[in-house]
Amino acid sequence: MQSWRRKSLWLALLASWLLVLLGLFPLLRLSVPTSPWAGAPQGWPRWLDAELLQSFAKPGELLEDGPRPPQALRGGSCNWGACFDTSKCRGGGLKVFVYPAAGPVSETRRRILASVEGSRYHTLSAAEACLLLLLSPDTSTGECDPVPPQWDGGRNHLVLSLHPAPCPRTFQLGQAMVAEASPTVDTFRPGFDVALPLLPEAHPLRGGAPGQLRQHSPRPGVALLALAEDGGRWHVAGTDFSACPWDGHCEQDRGPKQTHPGATLPNATFCLIPGRGPDVLHFLQALQAGCIPVLLSPRWELPFSEVIDWTKAAIVADERLPLQVLTALQEMPLTRVLALRQQTQFLWDAYFSSVEKVIHTTLEIIQDRIFGPSAHPSLLWNSPPGAILALPTFSPSPSDFPFYHLQQGSRPLGRFSALIWGGAPGQPPLKLIQAVAGSQHCAQILVLWSSEKPPPTRWPKTAVPLTVIDGHRKVSDRFFPYSAISTDAILSLDAHSSLSTSEVDFAFVVWQSFPERMVGFLTWSHFWDEARGGWGYTAKRTNEFSMVLTSAAFYHRYYHTLFTHALPKALRTLADEAPTCVDVLMNFLVASVTKLPPIKVPYGMWHQEARPPPLEPGGPGLRQEPQPAAQNCINQMAAGFGHMPLVSSRLRLDPVLFKDPVSVLRKKYRSLEKP
Amino acid sequence: MCASVKYNIRGPALIPRMKTKHRIYYITLFSIVLLGLIATGMFQFWPHSIESSSDWSVQKRSIRDVPVVRLPADSPVPERGDLSCRMHTCFDVYRCGFNPKNKIKVYIYSLKKYVDDAGVPVSSTISQEYNELLTAVADSDYYTEDIARACLFIPSIDLLNQNALRVKETAQALAQLSRWDRGTNHLLFNMLPGGPPDYNTALDVPRDRALLAGGGFSTWTYRQGYDVSIPVYSPLSAEVDLPEKGPGPRRYFLLSSQMALHPEYREELAALQARHGEAVLVLDKCTNLSEGIPAARKRCHKHQVFDYPQVLQEATFCVVPRGARLGQAVLSDVLWAGCIPVIIADSYILPFSEVLDWKRASVAVPEEKMSDVYSILQSIPQRQIEEMQRQARWFWEAYFQSIKAIALATLQIINDRIYPYAAISYEDWNDPPSVKWGSVSNPLFLPLIPPQSQGFTAIVLTYDRVESLFRVITEVSKVPSLSKLLVVWNNQNKNPPDDSLWPKIRVPLKVVRTAENKLSNRFFPYDEIETEAVLAIDDDIIMLTSDELQFGYEVWREFPDRLVGYPGRLHLWDHEMSKWKYESEWTNEVSMVLTGAAFYHKYFNYLYTYKMPGDIKNWVDAHMNCEDIAMNFLVANVTGKAVIKVTPRKKFKCPECTAIDGLSLDQTHMVERSECINKFASVFGTMPLKVVEHRADPVLYKDDFPEKLKSFPNIGSL
Repeated sequence: MQSWRRKSLWLALLASWLLVLLGLFPLLRLSVPTSPWAGAPQGWPRWLDAELLQSFAKPGELLEDGPRPPQALRGGSCNWGACFDTSKCRGGGLKVFVYPAAGPVSETRRRILASVEGSRYHTLSAAEACLLLLLSPDTSTGECDPVPPQWDGGRNHLVLSLHPAPCPRTFQLGQAMVAEASPTVDTFRPGFDVALPLLPEAHPLRGGAPGQLRQHSPRPGVALLALAEDGGRWHVAGTDFSACPWDGHCEQDRGPKQTHPGATLPNATFCLIPGRGPDVLHFLQALQAGCIPVLLSPRWELPFSEVIDWTKAAIVADERLPLQVLTALQEMPLTRVLALRQQTQFLWDAYFSSVEKVIHTTLEIIQDRIFGPSAHPSLLWNSPPGAILALPTFSPSPSDFPFYHLQQGSRPLGRFSALIWGGAPGQPPLKLIQAVAGSQHCAQILVLWSSEKPPPTRWPKTAVPLTVIDGHRKVSDRFFPYSAISTDAILSLDAHSSLSTSEVDFAFVVWQSFPERMVGFLTWSHFWDEARGGWGYTAKRTNEFSMVLTSAAFYHRYYHTLFTHALPKALRTLADEAPTCVDVLMNFLVASVTKLPPIKVPYGMWHQEARPPPLEPGGPGLRQEPQPAAQNCINQMAAGFGHMPLVSSRLRLDPVLFKDPVSVLRKKYRSLEKP
Repeated sequence: MCASVKYNIRGPALIPRMKTKHRIYYITLFSIVLLGLIATGMFQFWPHSIESSSDWSVQKRSIRDVPVVRLPADSPVPERGDLSCRMHTCFDVYRCGFNPKNKIKVYIYSLKKYVDDAGVPVSSTISQEYNELLTAVADSDYYTEDIARACLFIPSIDLLNQNALRVKETAQALAQLSRWDRGTNHLLFNMLPGGPPDYNTALDVPRDRALLAGGGFSTWTYRQGYDVSIPVYSPLSAEVDLPEKGPGPRRYFLLSSQMALHPEYREELAALQARHGEAVLVLDKCTNLSEGIPAARKRCHKHQVFDYPQVLQEATFCVVPRGARLGQAVLSDVLWAGCIPVIIADSYILPFSEVLDWKRASVAVPEEKMSDVYSILQSIPQRQIEEMQRQARWFWEAYFQSIKAIALATLQIINDRIYPYAAISYEDWNDPPSVKWGSVSNPLFLPLIPPQSQGFTAIVLTYDRVESLFRVITEVSKVPSLSKLLVVWNNQNKNPPDDSLWPKIRVPLKVVRTAENKLSNRFFPYDEIETEAVLAIDDDIIMLTSDELQFGYEVWREFPDRLVGYPGRLHLWDHEMSKWKYESEWTNEVSMVLTGAAFYHKYFNYLYTYKMPGDIKNWVDAHMNCEDIAMNFLVANVTGKAVIKVTPRKKFKCPECTAIDGLSLDQTHMVERSECINKFASVFGTMPLKVVEHRADPVLYKDDFPEKLKSFPNIGSL
């Protein structure tokens, strides 16, 4: 009895605990209704028979489509695949022929022609060309061109008009592509036509005005908004812009802040541009001024929209929500404002600042379509230095270029190739080869032999492979992209350069931090010569410099590709004729890409004292002091580039403990400090 | 219940004195408990009725029970789609209004069953996929139940497959929706448009202004910037498990898996196979499969049978030619297998082409050039192929994998159009996570040397060392490019000296009083800072010459995105302890500069104050240490670049310099600083600091050159 009772008691106890446990949890759950797992999403019901629902397509329906012949062209609508014949471009890539002008040539047209002819795609033979360029009739001559000879229904033609045509076309467009300024969205055929910017009449041929942005962040107190007005003017809104919508109700406070047609560049953080037709001119102005364009429902296609990611540089907003747009602009995070501002400047400088850039960008877009899979990746179009200066033929991978290591999370290869330009009679540069080969970072030594005489048969034994390449005795040859160059970094040397292993080691380590720049030992600086009214340069030691000599400099091998394939031929010929010019040209090229000065590293004075006398001009050798005649070269280069790209620097990068009062034994690059 | 428990606990002690009358009591108790148990059990295991009381009443219904709507034969039909529609002409953006979260609100009409006058259903009520799609939308942040607040409306009428519906009657059903209003702001989903014989590339149902998310648009039917091109979902992905296969060479170079190709295409492919042999594999329907094997899962080449979609993983490139329709479900399968699609459909608008960069994951070959496809593909370098394979798989994972992924990507695209200032960037859409993780986008990426005339603002953080502070002010004011001096008075208990006592200097001097003595006050983005360049300087740094400071500013101008400072420090990996160590000895390397004297861009003040990751800012304020290390981490992390140390080494009057002086070895200080590095590295999830071996000196520093002619002669002199 007692044991039964005890048992039952224990059982009851157990059961009641179970009850508590089991009963309490659901109650708890019920009492906390807001917990995330309690409230299943409302709205769309969870059907009890959801499992029984049929699939949207019957099995096999997705796979067994009724066969159908390839679609024929419809109503004159064209796309790239159907209307452009790429087979003509197969061999040599894009070749462009431009129809010569029949009558007198206007200034704009002359600029376009000059740009096309200066392009690396230009050809003089219409038969060889895969793209035929037809400039649309001119504004000034007013003559309408007849149907061109090779028209062929417009196949492989690009009809280019930088300005709206004054007279209607006398022929059907057929299969021709159209590149026109600010085409309306309704007629624009994406992937086939090209949208150009609407350029002002006086747009320069090359170079062009630089962007107006002088600092990364907006100046404090600068107006938030500038509103585009008719006649290319801007109305800078004060802080109280809420009272001023942009559809013509601003009369009451049009006052002293209004800018005049002469001073057309707006000074504000954002530039509101209505999407109506005539305001497209404002768009480029805003871009140049570093004023972030806010486009209100544009009816026209943004320029080069096929390749440029405009969301990075402009805001396309709905014109019907002015207050919402204003609030969003006011509250926009600083980080995004900074990024947008900088992107406007990059785009302006890369694609819009001159007629030449606009034309070259157009051709580059067509070239990309022909290239298909090996076209510029989007990254190359949308980050500095831009697609015109980043040749996709160099490499399909952005991390092979010197510019994209940050975005790619990559770094340049850890070795360099020494490229020695030789050809003088006498012994091979033993000391130099040994000093360079002694560097732990040296991967190979290439000797570029460019002399009538055969190269010496015996070369010193070195730890790294030494190869002799036969050059073509032209100065510009030293910057040819030889396939033997296997590393990212090139150490360019003359046979008469003098360097120590320490110097090479340190310079290379510095270069790894700045792979897009030139890192050199000896420097020149350029200056504006008031007396002669031109540029000059000097090898005198000054407090600043803007060029490093390529007789001893590290740089990325990509610059060889760029030098050989992107520079206008005229400039390279110039360099061949006046050998000191080649240094200037290389420095111009790198500076116009990076917009930054080169880097100088320490160079022992003892080298300069032990230098042999300069050799005859024209041959490889030291080019310490520019000849007076060569001074002219810098001006010709500046004219060729359309502007002066060189930037001066006032600093030198030294090892951290350079000449510090500590024990020499602590120092890694101690031999740099020899007296 | 509680009482009985208590009683029971005390129970055993009472047992000896219990009588028979208690037995009844116990039995009653026992049965109550038992009953309770049973009740609880039922409570627990009753199907889901208790946990979510909210869907108790409305949610659980059968599709057979949905209300039936009879459409009169003469009910209005919407107009055909308007090809000129754009967001600013056909979309009523006022409904979206201002929204602080920048998210559109989407309403879903409730499910109805539509029948015509004769009672014949207009279409099957809803397909499994459309139900999934609506569920995904309803579960997302976009969803709203309030039709009045909605900006976008999604009808529950299933339009995914045009073959499964009656065109005119479906249009009538659309037109009678309560907010139809010519289709404004209505989003229709369709994957299989058109029907035999001419297979239109967009849904044939008249839809007026409604937006169409369609699979298989051509350039002629797609309204750029208005419609959304979506993939054709492949139901296979829900049935089969296809583990990811890494990029690299595969057995077949080119593969065609589509059945029922146009004979012309099949001939071209057969010719390719004849020319290139093993490298090309053209598959077709299996003719002699035994019963019970789904035909969709097998492909044949002559008598060889292959498993589909597994066979796709054996090929580097897979052709996706147009079928009757432009959009093909095989595209999804191909991406899934990490095979690079070769699109042979001239006017096809690829899925999500508004935001996805298809050049990175596919090759488009004009239909005319089909015979050249092999040589075109051969010209692509192997590295690029691997990149494309990775990208193809990533596109599938992010945007093709499920109906939910497709629905959310579509809504995101529309959302980005309506709130363009909060739009997702190209990189967010296109970069696979591995790339996003490794890449750095420098916020000051534009190469630009700011004009010297702008000058810099010196910010002196001080507590009460007035005498030393005044000396610093006097010294700094000699620097030509100084444009303003800001004293941050961090002492709340003491007022700053009277105006008349401050040194008279040539530039404006402002004193800012802080609310709390915090180290982060040094990095606050004060409105008073007008220049981009900021010089942070301690109130005891008197050993810097005017030349050194001016030179430091010049160096900053050439490196405006970096920290440019005087005393340099280094972080080292301690192999014994397996953690980071702080180093202030005379080393050959530098990875940090102390902000006791450093130039930097004022934007970093904003980042330090508002965007510092984790709890670092508060941690620094609480520990009263390491604000400079935190700044070094922040700048290196966001720019991916190293610091620049300026000018020769000198003895700085700073806490840890006592160690170098040899007066007292302040070990604890060094330990604390090392702790900071380890703490920050774990918060950042990486070690962002970059080690370099260089510092910046004037061009002619220590050169054999007349001192008089040097711009900065007075460097390293103190």
